[in-house]
Amino acid sequence: MEPTQSINEQVQTANDAENNSSATAPENNQTVNISESERHDQSATAPENEREHLVRITDISKIYNPGENEVRALDHVSLTIDEGEFVAIIGQSGSGKSTLMNMLGCLDTPTEGTYYLHGTDVSHMTDDEQSDIRNREIGFIFQGFNLIQSLTALENVELPLIYRKVPRRQRGELARAALERVGLGKRMDHKPGELSGGQQQRVAIARAIAQAPPILLADEPTGNLDSASSRDIMNVIHSLYEDGRTVIIITHDPGIAQQAKRIITISDGHVISDSINPNV
Amino acid sequence: MEYIKGAWKNITMNKGRTVLTMLGIIIGISSVIAILSVGNGLKSDLTSSLDDMVSGAVTINLDPKKTDKYLTAADLKVIEDAIPIARGVSPSFSAFGESKYRRTMNTRVLGGTPGCVYEFDKGFYSGRFFTEDDVEYANDVCVLNQMSALFIFGTTDAQGLTFDLTIGDKTRTITVVGVVRSEEKQLEAAKEIIIGGSLEYYYADIYVPYSLLTTKYNLGKEQFTSFLLYPAPGMADEAAAKAKTLAENILDLRGEGAVVIQSYASLMDMYVNVLDSVTLVIALVAAISLLVGGIGVMNIMTVTVTERTREIGIRKSLGARTSSILLQFLVESSLITLLAGFIGMILGFGLSFIVGNLVNIKAAIHTTDVALVVAISVGVGIFFGIYPARRAAKLNPVDALRTE
Repeated sequence: MEPTQSINEQVQTANDAENNSSATAPENNQTVNISESERHDQSATAPENEREHLVRITDISKIYNPGENEVRALDHVSLTIDEGEFVAIIGQSGSGKSTLMNMLGCLDTPTEGTYYLHGTDVSHMTDDEQSDIRNREIGFIFQGFNLIQSLTALENVELPLIYRKVPRRQRGELARAALERVGLGKRMDHKPGELSGGQQQRVAIARAIAQAPPILLADEPTGNLDSASSRDIMNVIHSLYEDGRTVIIITHDPGIAQQAKRIITISDGHVISDSINPNV
Repeated sequence: MEYIKGAWKNITMNKGRTVLTMLGIIIGISSVIAILSVGNGLKSDLTSSLDDMVSGAVTINLDPKKTDKYLTAADLKVIEDAIPIARGVSPSFSAFGESKYRRTMNTRVLGGTPGCVYEFDKGFYSGRFFTEDDVEYANDVCVLNQMSALFIFGTTDAQGLTFDLTIGDKTRTITVVGVVRSEEKQLEAAKEIIIGGSLEYYYADIYVPYSLLTTKYNLGKEQFTSFLLYPAPGMADEAAAKAKTLAENILDLRGEGAVVIQSYASLMDMYVNVLDSVTLVIALVAAISLLVGGIGVMNIMTVTVTERTREIGIRKSLGARTSSILLQFLVESSLITLLAGFIGMILGFGLSFIVGNLVNIKAAIHTTDVALVVAISVGVGIFFGIYPARRAAKLNPVDALRTE
């Protein structure tokens, strides 16, 4: 537990530094106010105490090829996720779960509807504002690891911290602590090509947690791994959840989904079930 | 700093391609540098040789199209005495002939007054200049520099020696009364010429009293339409203007523009201007090769961006702003061109020394040239990097992450 504590402390200082230099907060509040008044007109599904939700998406649609051959990847989806939840979003390929994950990760903007993160509308932001949101709020774990091949494990983990303008020394400390947290303390100077799939995914997890985001967004995190590595990775994700992080896993694998506390099933762009997992 | 480190990594990862990309810039920069430094060398060479030739004399001419009047020796004396800042005034009088000592040497004979001593700023090696008396009696005397002494006598210890000077059909025996110092490098050059046996292509310069030419060699009368004025240091323009006014007064030619000042300083300016524009034209050609090189950089950066689309997607998903991606690729392209600039600079200096040695010019390197190269190469990198870098920065993260 000791390394975890030290991460959290350092993360706290990093966040403080960020808050001091951040000028976006007041603007965001304004955006919320406008969006709230809009919401009263159109949405009846949202609960009254929306500020308590970490994630709230209301009536989101994503339409590709607008016109005759339009594809509704998401069709009027609404859902909320609270802090500290462990959610699996499950669906077949083509169900719209990847599109949903892009929405939740602020990688894409919805055609219709609004996404509130911490009560702030993040679906109508500029590219750079969304970049900042991703940097601060979301840690991605991808199926294909998405490490930069030319950089060492440590440099990969440092990347989000560079974009957050964390000073060099603190950055190194945070990245090292994160790599130790996922058990890769001895392989920091290896490049991704020199690591196994499971190790690469752990580097990716270290990268996701080094910046201490409130949300961990994992897209088929075990999709490219053998069963032993998969167990390994899921154990790491579990322990991060137990440390109090919000974990969202997108998967088509029911075995993975069964490990979550809450399972959201998506099909043809619709949420068809959303239930607490009785087995956990 | 992070950006430079990352860019360096990417550049060195693909060395062959980087070198090929840099080639155009290297060629462009090295030719710019070679041209500039050879040009500078040529300029300072020309300047110093012109300095040797004229040492600041001002020539004042009567325009033959506007007047047929002339100045006499007495007029020149009046001008010299009336203008204290004119240290010497002499008719501008020259003729070609042959000197015979042990061998025959082509000779340019310059007729002047004792004022011509100011032609020589390096002092006497031996003897003296000719005097007012020598002029008055048209004595058979001459003064020459060490180089011309070498040409005619084969030695610089020529004071007191006599030789036969033939101009036209007249031959007289002339005594050397003084030898003026030449520059060391001129003496070296003269020795090489003598050893090389190419003496017939050169001529010696000797100074004699002008009266010797006019009376004893029967070369015209004492009717001068051109004279030289040796000003006190820094007073050339003022002295020339005064001499011009005075000459106009003497000849009653005020306001007709018939008296023309031709200063060697302005002549030199003209040479330098011509040289500058030649340099400019060649530099322009070099700039075209820089342009081509820059397009090569743009090309390769576009390829790089396409190859690294996924990396760009990853970076964006981790929170890289548009400007961070833009900067990343601009730093990379600038680093390529800067590196190429340095290599080109070294090659260019090498090249300019080789060329300089071949044509006997000392190539000069100016720090401003170095600064120029750095500025140009970074500028080319940024200018031609902008398009690919913008393409990279504008990529949509979802699409970028989807590419393999």
